[in-house]
Amino acid sequence: MNVTCSDRDGIFEDGKPTEWAALEAHAATCPQCAEEVRAWKSLSIAAEALRDYSASPSLWPRIERALAEEAAQNAQCAERKSWLSFLPSFSPAWQMALAGAFVLVLTISGGWIYYHRPVRTVDNDNSLLQSSALKEVESAETVYERAIDKLAAEAKPQLENPATPLLANYQEKLLVLDSAISDLRAQAGTNPSNAQLRYQLLAMYQEKQHTLEEVLEAKP
Amino acid sequence: MGTMGLALPWKARISSLPRERGTRVEPSEHFAGGPSRTAVDALSEDAALAAACRSGDLRAYERLYAMHGERMKNLARNVLGNPIDAEDAVQETFLKVQRSIASFRGQSSFVTWTYRILINTCYDARRTRLRKREVANDDSEETPRPEPRAPGAHPSLRMALERALAKLTRHQRDVFLLYEVEGFRHAEIAGMLEMTETASKNTLFQAKKNLRQMLEPPRSSAAETG
Repeated sequence: MNVTCSDRDGIFEDGKPTEWAALEAHAATCPQCAEEVRAWKSLSIAAEALRDYSASPSLWPRIERALAEEAAQNAQCAERKSWLSFLPSFSPAWQMALAGAFVLVLTISGGWIYYHRPVRTVDNDNSLLQSSALKEVESAETVYERAIDKLAAEAKPQLENPATPLLANYQEKLLVLDSAISDLRAQAGTNPSNAQLRYQLLAMYQEKQHTLEEVLEAKP
Repeated sequence: MGTMGLALPWKARISSLPRERGTRVEPSEHFAGGPSRTAVDALSEDAALAAACRSGDLRAYERLYAMHGERMKNLARNVLGNPIDAEDAVQETFLKVQRSIASFRGQSSFVTWTYRILINTCYDARRTRLRKREVANDDSEETPRPEPRAPGAHPSLRMALERALAKLTRHQRDVFLLYEVEGFRHAEIAGMLEMTETASKNTLFQAKKNLRQMLEPPRSSAAETG
């Protein structure tokens, strides 16, 4: 087999043993090819300088420990997930179908609960009192009214015979307040759940209380 | 070019070494005449090793290490530039093999697959190191490759080769290291680097051509002195 200088690169790249032998024979008479072949082989020989297979005694124990630790962690994770082990037995299509069915059941349940919830329209109107709150207000009102009546009884002697023009004015004011209170109580009797009426009534009682306190303070 | 200082004195340094190492020619299909008995044995051993690793047998991993550990470390050291990173890469490779052995389908040999993981791990580590170096903006501490002791001193053969290899493309460097240093066949390299056997041969040719250009003394000065 004869080779020429132009065949050299092709043989370097993918030469068969017979082609290499022919190139070596050609190089014996061609100084340029001899130099190229020598340099080419020298690179392979030089590559040996990058070979260092010295033992690393600590490396395998280190790797073994890491492998064992990771295997133990994986085993723990597998135990934790074992209750879900039925899931992988379903194909992804079935898993999707199950998830869809679950969402559908949730939606229907939510809708049913929403439409069948107890309707409490009274709750929405804050100006109206519920029956339990109304009882509390009425009982508190009664107690308050009695306390003011006691106060009025104390002030009664001064008001019946007013010694000064100021006391006479207090008397007139109290008459107006009593009139307003009786009106409001009449309205509250017909509309007991109206919180606004109750607030107005409370304001009247408070005013009457303050007036009576002033009357008592004005005692000569 | 920065390769001037790396020029190898070919005749003085290498001509004394045995030349037979450079004549490695792989058996082709024309000569082999089908798979040999040893090749079949190797395949079955490879499959048995993969099966044992898949079953979680740590002794199988130990056997893999005994067979390939030092070679893996050497390859990693040549890619990463230092033995500490190389050991880390080998350890990480074994962990990755353990994690993903269930997905190994046997399309390539188990050992080939392991080396593919090793090479990818090494390049991941290189990228991470590069990013850290960019963040720290201080390559003096991170540079793993040893520098020449003095500007006038002649670099060693190993150092010169390492620096020249660093200038090659990734595939050229990988193929050179796997073929010339680790002694793998082109068929195995093709599996490791996911390329064709022909591409592996061509890449090696280009790598050696580039290395020769980088390591050869400048022709003009050589001609003047000669």
